[in-house]
Amino acid sequence: MKPVSFEYNTPASLSLTTDLLVRTKKDAKLISGGQSLGPMLNLRLARPELLIDISKLSELKEIGEDKSKVIIGASITHSTIEDGGVVEPISGMLRYVASRIAYRAVRNKGTIGGSLAHADPAADWVTTMMALSAVIKTRTSDGIIRKIPMHDFMLGAYRTALKHDEIISSIEIPKYSKKACWGYHKICRKVGEFANAIGAIVVDPVQKYCIIACGAVGGAPLILQDLSESVARSAAVPDILEIVLALETSEQQFDAVKMQQLAVSVQRAIEKAVCK
Amino acid sequence: MKQEISLTVNGEDHTLIVTSRTQLAELLRNELDLTGTHLGCEQGVCGACTVLIDGKPARSCITFAGSCHGIKVETIEGFQNDDVMDRLKEAFSKHHALQCGFCTPGMLATARDIVERFTSPDTEKIRYELSGNLCRCTGYVGIVAAIADVIEQQIALGISLSAPTIDVPEQKSGFAPFEPSSTTRAKPANITLQKSGKVSANGNQTIVERGFSIDHKPEVVWQHFRDLKSLGKCVPGAVIDNVDNDRFEGHVEVRFGPIKADFRGSGTHTNNDMNKSGSVIGRGADKGGQSNLEGQLNYIIGKGETPESSKIDVEFKFEIQGMLAQFNRPELVTGLVDYILEQFVQNCNSVLSGNEIKPGQGISAFALVVAIVRAKIATWFKSN
Repeated sequence: MKPVSFEYNTPASLSLTTDLLVRTKKDAKLISGGQSLGPMLNLRLARPELLIDISKLSELKEIGEDKSKVIIGASITHSTIEDGGVVEPISGMLRYVASRIAYRAVRNKGTIGGSLAHADPAADWVTTMMALSAVIKTRTSDGIIRKIPMHDFMLGAYRTALKHDEIISSIEIPKYSKKACWGYHKICRKVGEFANAIGAIVVDPVQKYCIIACGAVGGAPLILQDLSESVARSAAVPDILEIVLALETSEQQFDAVKMQQLAVSVQRAIEKAVCK
Repeated sequence: MKQEISLTVNGEDHTLIVTSRTQLAELLRNELDLTGTHLGCEQGVCGACTVLIDGKPARSCITFAGSCHGIKVETIEGFQNDDVMDRLKEAFSKHHALQCGFCTPGMLATARDIVERFTSPDTEKIRYELSGNLCRCTGYVGIVAAIADVIEQQIALGISLSAPTIDVPEQKSGFAPFEPSSTTRAKPANITLQKSGKVSANGNQTIVERGFSIDHKPEVVWQHFRDLKSLGKCVPGAVIDNVDNDRFEGHVEVRFGPIKADFRGSGTHTNNDMNKSGSVIGRGADKGGQSNLEGQLNYIIGKGETPESSKIDVEFKFEIQGMLAQFNRPELVTGLVDYILEQFVQNCNSVLSGNEIKPGQGISAFALVVAIVRAKIATWFKSN
């Protein structure tokens, strides 16, 4: 199918973009890589009157670091990350995750900020950023800059804390120590598809940090707090029943197959971090 | 909206006036008569439309003309004096890597990228990288062999990669047990609504059962529920236009992320005053999205934990047909249902306390329908 008719605007700066978002009376949608929005447009599930292209804004292409964090501009593509174009906050994790998002043709266009703003529960970055305790830096039309911790950013499936005139400018990820380990496992029926289940773990014995996140659930990825603490204390792979119990306390309901997939993905992620 | 764009295709500069929504693939095929680029799924899944944009493979079906100003495109008609592409074409022929040829232009664009990025003819890696291009006749064996062949030829010729792929650093694992800090940076998401009930599927129908409490007496809540106009106000996005005895007409706007639908239709509303139960049965169509929705909402109002409160049990049953249909993934519904219920309960509480409803939450009870739907889309494309 073909999309509905829309206007296409490419503002020259971030402030012009937020101004336009405030000013326009049209039903506007931001587009960056357009790899999620594109199919929705073609299917006419999304029918905006105005698309505002932010993929070319230099303000969103920042790549940097300081002592404590890595900074990735919102419109940095998955393939840039896959190819090692950004500093790793923890050895190899971002590259590993990026290389398994969809397909190379999609990764060449799709952006990390776009993925987070789209907030699909089954997307890779939302779960990864949750496990890494990333902070989402945004800007509104009146120039207010917010730094929103990832766990406050995604509110549910396709729902975020972003206001209508607010744009993600960059993602800040804390740096972890050289002793830090991670694991990431996703279950897909076919390579490149939306995941059925995602398990992610980041452990840093130096910073006394351990977070296990589970994605491809009904809303925002789950943080399994108690399980995280017990894995830090044991440095061992928990058995599947313990993981199922941890998932059950999330109060989300999963059928037996989904529960098994989620538990297995979490277990395999932990295995990767724990096994010497 | 029409706009003027300039782009370079296969080394030739073009300036065109096209509508912003035109897909790059259409622009190539219809405006420039370059029909070698094929359109398959138009959802970024099948890979048939893959072309090189600024030297990198991309889907031309989900690239819109509005974003094409200034880009350089290489299609299957191009690749002039391109040794890698020449080798690939020959290898595809030699290894019987095509039958009907529909996928071949996209396959070759992706194959060229694989040859440029990988130094080893590792067939597992090739298959992984090729997963975004579907072929329905060859079984991929010939395609994989052709790509491996060209990588071997490149190695034999001592051709270095133009875009070398750096190996991903080895993953560190294994740590000594430690006591995690209480100041770990993440925290679990807040759960604001006490949930009970279940989500299940029956054929094409999805059934969501939920129970919740409201801070008003059952008699008051019942009067609210039996009055369709009053009840309708509390369903975010819904408008009841006409009520004629137990029949009604109305519409409900659904917004779910970028997804928007406007279901218009009619239905019946019946109530049983004896046990304070009732149901709303409706059916509607979203013309713009070419989908149909059929649903039933059953409710029963009982005593709450205190005399001043009520317990409401609801059951939604629904089925969607058309573009939004064909799929069911109940777990995705759960989070959304609770969000909707939260708003619905808030709205009911507001109305019953004599307050105004906060406008424009932009999501409706029927949005859960769309949640299921999204899962259908998920089977078609993976995007991030």
